[in-house]
Amino acid sequence: MRRLVLIAVPYLWLLTLFLIPFLIVLKISLSDTALSIPPYTPTLDLGAGWTGVKEFFAGLDFENFWFLTTDELYWKAYLSSLQIAFLSTIMTLIVGYPIAYGMAQAPDEWRPTLMLLVILPFWTSFLIRVYAWMGILSREGLLNQFLLWTGVIDAPVKILNTDTAVYIGIVYTYLPFMVLPIYATLEKLDESLLEAAEDLGCSRASAFWLVTVPLSKSGIIAGCFLVFIPALGEFVIPSLLGGSQTLMIGKVLWEEFFNNRDWPIASAVAVVLLLILIVPIILFQRNEQKQREAEG
Amino acid sequence: MAQTVFEPWNDPDQEPLIQFRNVTKRFGDFTAIDNLSLDIFEREFFALLGPSGCGKTTMMRMLAGFEGVSEGAIYLSGKDIAPVPPNKRAVNMMFQSYALFPHLSVWDNIAFGLKRDRLPKKAIGDRVSEMLQLTRLEKFAHRKPHQISGGQRQRVALARSLAKAPKLLLLDEPLGALDKKLRQDTQFELMDIQEKTGTTFVIVTHDQEEAMTVASRVAVMDEGRLIQVDTPAQIYESPNSLYVADFIGDVNIIEGHAKKSGDGYDITFAEGQPVLHAKTSRDLGSAGKCYLAIRPEKVTVSAEKPEGRTNLVKGTILDIAYLGNLSTYHVKLASGQIIKAQTANTRRIARRDLTWEDEVWLSWTETAAVVLEV
Amino acid sequence: MRNHLLTAAASLALFAGMATAEEVRVYNWSDYIDEDLLDKFEEETGIDLVYDVFDSNEVLETKMLAGGSGYDVVVPSGTFLQRQITAGAFQKLDKSKLPNIENMWDVVEKRTEQYDPDNAYSINYMWGTTGLGVNVGKVREVLGDDAPINSLALVFDPANMEKLADCGVHFLDAPAEMIPAALKYIGEDPNSHDPDVIAKAEGVFEPVRPYIQKFHSSEYINALANGDICVAVGWSGDILQARDRADEAGNDVEIVYNAPVEGAQMWFDQMAIPVDAPNPDGAHKFLNFIMDAENMAAASNYVYYANGNKASQEYLLEDVIGDPSIYPDEATLENLFTTTPYDARVQRVVTRLWTKIKSGT
Repeated sequence: MRRLVLIAVPYLWLLTLFLIPFLIVLKISLSDTALSIPPYTPTLDLGAGWTGVKEFFAGLDFENFWFLTTDELYWKAYLSSLQIAFLSTIMTLIVGYPIAYGMAQAPDEWRPTLMLLVILPFWTSFLIRVYAWMGILSREGLLNQFLLWTGVIDAPVKILNTDTAVYIGIVYTYLPFMVLPIYATLEKLDESLLEAAEDLGCSRASAFWLVTVPLSKSGIIAGCFLVFIPALGEFVIPSLLGGSQTLMIGKVLWEEFFNNRDWPIASAVAVVLLLILIVPIILFQRNEQKQREAEG
Repeated sequence: MAQTVFEPWNDPDQEPLIQFRNVTKRFGDFTAIDNLSLDIFEREFFALLGPSGCGKTTMMRMLAGFEGVSEGAIYLSGKDIAPVPPNKRAVNMMFQSYALFPHLSVWDNIAFGLKRDRLPKKAIGDRVSEMLQLTRLEKFAHRKPHQISGGQRQRVALARSLAKAPKLLLLDEPLGALDKKLRQDTQFELMDIQEKTGTTFVIVTHDQEEAMTVASRVAVMDEGRLIQVDTPAQIYESPNSLYVADFIGDVNIIEGHAKKSGDGYDITFAEGQPVLHAKTSRDLGSAGKCYLAIRPEKVTVSAEKPEGRTNLVKGTILDIAYLGNLSTYHVKLASGQIIKAQTANTRRIARRDLTWEDEVWLSWTETAAVVLEV
Repeated sequence: MRNHLLTAAASLALFAGMATAEEVRVYNWSDYIDEDLLDKFEEETGIDLVYDVFDSNEVLETKMLAGGSGYDVVVPSGTFLQRQITAGAFQKLDKSKLPNIENMWDVVEKRTEQYDPDNAYSINYMWGTTGLGVNVGKVREVLGDDAPINSLALVFDPANMEKLADCGVHFLDAPAEMIPAALKYIGEDPNSHDPDVIAKAEGVFEPVRPYIQKFHSSEYINALANGDICVAVGWSGDILQARDRADEAGNDVEIVYNAPVEGAQMWFDQMAIPVDAPNPDGAHKFLNFIMDAENMAAASNYVYYANGNKASQEYLLEDVIGDPSIYPDEATLENLFTTTPYDARVQRVVTRLWTKIKSGT
């Protein structure tokens, strides 16, 4: 009995925080937009009994999903989001791995401090940090001033309101999500494995590629998913740092919801986004599972 | 059996495989290895024995190339190895933790070093098969390290470190993680493999029994110095110091005053106790304080006073430790010393006649005890 | 109208709370009132005032349409108000509880009637125009002394925009403002709901698109004031705020606001009471308080927007009532146009067109 209760807890969690909201969104995505409160129809009228339920289901259809295929905007936005999420994940990995590696190599007494430094930005509002980047990246911003001062450039370059700024923003914001899981695997890495690799004929560099990297694979995968999944639906960073040409599905979703007031279409966009995410999420779960088995 | 006794260290014509020449290693203020010189010969199974922190692991890591020397030099086949990085040394190491690559199968673990040498595929396959056969791991070739037992892992580690046919194999506490029974089996397996491959083995251990079992020679270390380097029998039978005598096996230590007498020394150790005599070729110099070390199994315990023994003392049984194959008697002398005597239990119910509080006689021969300087 | 976007995302955590003391919850645009008035209201009525702010009509509308916002007074703009009335989001005002309603200005009431017939659901709070914020010095430097700083040609003529690109031009990220302006520029009906007419706006934006630094509905205030950009299409009060900030900073940046001579869009922010307001009685008290001539004047003096309260005009500062960019003269007033809300189908066309204009997709 107690076992049953314990098992029920995560399922209940999943049910209330994922499944029920998802079903609500799915239901709205099958509805039609209307100028009313709430702004879609039909709504479930339980007072009308069985006929009410029947009418409710009769009013649902996949029209909105069909609509998404009629305008190139949507698939272009999905593709562009996938591209931005993918590239920024790779960049976050390239930036984050050396940080995690450095932390894992640091003397024991330094590690809590370094860990704190990685987490520290979370103590400030995300919005404020993104705004700070606006100051850094703007035409008169610190970055341009620095580049001018070093002589790398001789006229300010436009960084803010370009895709570059979006990449910088995503890499910056999600960096801890990449660093921490990689650090966790690197920290566990047995130093003697590297010595063994060297002993068996590896140079330092090849020991890194043949031993350190494969053994931190689970951390790399976890970090990549933790970055990729939220980056795909990212809205705030492209809105604030990106230019108007930055096409991301999060922005399209916003426009459907707020500008067009079309909750059903917005919900359909969200449902498709979720379906796109389900593939990496399942892969992520399988990675975790494999990891647990390997450790068990 | 070998026709000639394997004692290259006694042959002045033999060129040592490894030479430590006045090697000192410091970590900051701490001196791990203190002006140490040592020769190790080809085909030896050499044990570095000592308590933790004695410097034995540092010596091994210097051989592997993970530590440099602060002073002095190490030669491998006559060449200074200081400038050779670990991955270029014809030395392989079996790690205490085994350091098996968890992401690679047993087969790939063994092949790891061979692949680094860019050997042809066929050669790698053959060599790995050979190693798998040698260590009886054929059935587990495709398992991952976490899917096999501790003993099997140990054998994988051994196979991996032997795969490149190194001139020298270093074994860092190779059996430490195994339970006792498995450890004993594995010791013989190690000796067997060492003999078959003809590789020079240097083993680091803190387990004196293990060192005694496997090694052709044992170096007993303490605080960065070699205390005694000798065959196991010599180390056991003629320790050169109280430290060695005490570290290796069980021993009774009697403190006393030595006086040159004939072919040895007379030792007085307590008021009212008889003078003991020990034969030795060792010269203690001017007579004075000394230690007498006697292995318990060399002490005979009897209820009746035996006749014609030079070293004979009387005491009462304080304790009897029954170990199955052996019994150890703790006998207290009138002067307060406690002497342990060990008897093999050759009969099923042994020595029923001796029990607690019994008065007994302890005796040993003139050659049984070793006289040691203070 | 005004500030679009975002902080909304952070501020979505508001919901109706049941309090013991009587309270009125007001949801207004950010930086849109003299906060002394809030204290004054509490003192006069003894009602606790909970004052929250938003910065986009879209966010407000989403809350209204979702229902159960918990607010007693909200401030949508005219077109949004009209749509929300149709959706049934507001309750009719009980004018017997609003004695100060006689202070209201018929000139404005006449115009707001097109959104809210008989002004049955709302009172006007502020109104203004959408026009051009210009950094005079910089623009003259680039375009010469005869730069058309009071004409839409400044921002819709590619020849001008090409020259201005380097010193920076911001457009509002609000299709309901920008598309009517573009239509007006090419002589079409700015209030057209015909998709074919609306589509013509694209032809106006396309040639100038490469020279637009940013589409944003609030950043231009700071950008103008700091001298980072030299032209912004924006809301009158915001640009006047930028003007004052530049004055205070003393950075030699001179900002002027002009309603374009071609005609400018006139907009109205209306106070209304949600249909499910927890305290409609308190809401009426608040509306009545705001319609007090002196109170309304205090608000306008503070935010530099014109209001719809005739009686308040005698209390307005000279640099408010006397500034034609706030209170336009008769002729300019005639030249202002208003728009009506798009229905869902047209709204989609407009949004889609706007996305295409901005992103090229």
